[in-house]
Amino acid sequence: MSFQEKNITVSLVNFILILGFYLISLFLMIQGESFNSTNVFRLWGIIIVIAVVVTIFATIITHIVSAIIQAIKTKEEPHIENISDERDKLIDLRGTKVTNFVSSIGSFFSMLTFVFGQPPLVMFTLLIFFGVVAQIIGDIFRLRLYRRGF
Amino acid sequence: MDKYRIKNNIRTLRFFKDEMTQQQLADKVGVTRQTIIATEKGKYSPSLELAFRIALVFDVPLEEVFSYDFEDETK
Repeated sequence: MSFQEKNITVSLVNFILILGFYLISLFLMIQGESFNSTNVFRLWGIIIVIAVVVTIFATIITHIVSAIIQAIKTKEEPHIENISDERDKLIDLRGTKVTNFVSSIGSFFSMLTFVFGQPPLVMFTLLIFFGVVAQIIGDIFRLRLYRRGF
Repeated sequence: MDKYRIKNNIRTLRFFKDEMTQQQLADKVGVTRQTIIATEKGKYSPSLELAFRIALVFDVPLEEVFSYDFEDETK
């Protein structure tokens, strides 16, 4: 598995966990009848902080661990191929295109809730949901391109 | 429109260049080994610049490395 594939896998696992955490927190909020703007915006903050901080740390830790495993296996200094070539850039570009597309559709559906007379809270809840889902779909698309060759 | 695709002789050229490994070629042209693998298999069509760099490594004209042939769907 290449450097880029590892990065994407870490990001994918991270965002799936974030989505799970988000849905469980929302479910508990609705169950406990505490679905209000203060709690929803707090959850927004938590999700964004986790997405940024955990992704960075998880990527670093994954590379350290995989380098250690590689060094133990081969008994040589690990060779980390961290260059990004034209194919990596094209795959990233295609993945970003998919992420943006899903995100735009999600934003549209989130705005649509206003048409049906829903409060802004529903729109904000859906907005971050689609944001995370878009990232997951984009990562799956990138991984598929890497597995296929392009 | 007829279906054409880019084919390449990288595998053969590597063999005749002292059995150069994919990693060695990747290092010489400045890409990852995965890109060389994808190019060799015909899954990825490289940029014109990368194609010229590959041809330079083997010291042959571009058309000896890459060709644009009609895709035989019976194969």
